[in-house]
Amino acid sequence: MLTATHLRELSGYRELILRLAWSDFKLRYKSSALGFFWSLLEPLLMLLVLYLVFTNLMRIQVEHYQLFLLLGIILWNFLDRGTSLSIGSITGKPSLVQKIYFPRDILVISTCIMALMMTALEFVVFVIFMAIFRVMPGWPIAFFPLLVALEFFLILGLSLALSALNIYFRDVQFIWRVVVQVGFFATPILYPITIFPEKIRWIVMLNPMAQIIIMMRNCILYGTPPEVLSLAYVALSTLALLFVGYVIFDRLEPRFAEAI
Amino acid sequence: MVVEVEHLWKTFQIPHERRTTLFENLVGLMRPNHYETFTVLKDVSFRVEKGECMGIIGDNGSGKSTLLKIIANILRPTRGKVKVKGKMTPFLELGVGFQPDLTVKENIGVYATVMGLSRRDIKDRADDVIEFAGLRRFEDTKLKNLSSGMQVRLAFSTAIQTDPDLLLVDEVLAVGDMEFQQKCFDVFNRYRKEGVTILFVSHDLSAVRRFCDRTLLLGDGEQRAFGGTEEILDKYVYGKKEEAVESSQEREPAAEKPNRWGDKKVTITNVEFLDKFGAAGNRFTSFDPMKVRIHYHAPSIVPDPVFGITLYSEHELYLYGTNTELKGINIEKVEGEGHIDLEIERLPMLSGRFFLTVAAHTHEGKPYDWLDKQYSFEVLPKGKDGGLFDVPCRWVT
Repeated sequence: MLTATHLRELSGYRELILRLAWSDFKLRYKSSALGFFWSLLEPLLMLLVLYLVFTNLMRIQVEHYQLFLLLGIILWNFLDRGTSLSIGSITGKPSLVQKIYFPRDILVISTCIMALMMTALEFVVFVIFMAIFRVMPGWPIAFFPLLVALEFFLILGLSLALSALNIYFRDVQFIWRVVVQVGFFATPILYPITIFPEKIRWIVMLNPMAQIIIMMRNCILYGTPPEVLSLAYVALSTLALLFVGYVIFDRLEPRFAEAI
Repeated sequence: MVVEVEHLWKTFQIPHERRTTLFENLVGLMRPNHYETFTVLKDVSFRVEKGECMGIIGDNGSGKSTLLKIIANILRPTRGKVKVKGKMTPFLELGVGFQPDLTVKENIGVYATVMGLSRRDIKDRADDVIEFAGLRRFEDTKLKNLSSGMQVRLAFSTAIQTDPDLLLVDEVLAVGDMEFQQKCFDVFNRYRKEGVTILFVSHDLSAVRRFCDRTLLLGDGEQRAFGGTEEILDKYVYGKKEEAVESSQEREPAAEKPNRWGDKKVTITNVEFLDKFGAAGNRFTSFDPMKVRIHYHAPSIVPDPVFGITLYSEHELYLYGTNTELKGINIEKVEGEGHIDLEIERLPMLSGRFFLTVAAHTHEGKPYDWLDKQYSFEVLPKGKDGGLFDVPCRWVT
């Protein structure tokens, strides 16, 4: 459980968390010749396709649409990658579960941190794009770290629940793929929220990822700080998810080594 | 007290049909799934004091490894309590978390962190590790390009950098060559001198004899005995009576070669191996006494029979043979049920399985009953010497 004692225990293991995250991160780019450029190429190619489709065919009129789109893709990728990699983070390392003990959530936390590292690389590209399109962020960019942190904990909460469930039900990973695919289109990533009629917007906005992406765009691209209400909603739903994630994880954790 | 185990029980539930997906579980809702319950540990209790080296022995499947994993906090007890004080390092497997695609140096970093070393210690000791493993030239090589022997060496040299209060060792020594095993022993000796408490699971009884002050004997998950190592090892070696006697007769007959012949004027009904406590068994410690008891049955009077034995190694190498005639014993006659004993004062074999031919025949060599390699017993090592037989000798300088 996410109690003070557990937090203290985790802090005793922070070197392990970082070491695992870093070695996984390195591993991911080691075997390919172009290294991490591949990981940057992927969102960029996707951006190119979506940009061409949506500006020419759908005729979406949004200020800085390239950056609008890229930011949405990067933030969604963070969620996609974080949860998808975390799902396999325990089943994929049986020897670390069966031959040695450390708090098992470390495997999930370190995977989420690795996803954060990969996202950080993509943000480097984003900054370059901002320079190319001559967009200067205003003071609301100060909210950037907070929003990233909120998304990180949101991902962590989801990952804890998913990774624990996946040990007992191995098709959770496939079901989750579908959820992520649907989520990509149900979240205002390709389009602005304004395409929905005013009356049903709140339904879309129940999704904390929609809130995070919109707040992030406002802060970075349009220089408007987030509304307190939105921020509070995201913070609360993140906390709730983290709590539920830990409860599920904690419940299932004692039998990991047997069930894996 | 470093480890305290109180009334520990552990059961595993093994479903007959393993459902690992949500789909299977949904479909399975219609049919109840039957579980097989295995009780692996039954009411085990013991304490280990600081600086002690405790051995855990028992047959395969007796729960040794499960016990160690529960102490290591990898598995949780079903009932009972386990208390551990101090920093614990488990050596349940060497090279936990090794990544074949990372270099030697990077792997040292990962593995040492997994084993609980701090970053500063790792930095200080990485060179020692590489030196000790003899991998200086390969420090930037990917792990997958090393031989498996090198990988084990690397894992071991990294693992021993830890400074535990309690060390859990599970059969790690079983891997590696003689030189590596010697290295392991040296390191464990060093740990012992430093006052580290060690729990040591092993099949190698001579290692247990050499290292452990006290030993826990498990059998079918039950705590059979706990106490001084010598006493417990005797119990283990000589403690398995009924089942052992049975198995000594269960030698599967070789298909083509007949393994029993003779005119049956005298039949050998049973052969028992008696240990120093007078109990029948088929496991002995080398240098212990043994008595071979040959039970026979003669339906009518048979005058002047000869009883003999021949001893073979596991690979059917003829080792030794003797009979009553050669030893100058004259048996006037036999009739009805009876037995004859062959007393061996000191078993000279060091270790291994040995087969015995037992026969009753006439002075001319005409067999009454000849049981060819029908009986076997096992000898477990006591000392460190190698080979099949002990040769009494000493070095003079």
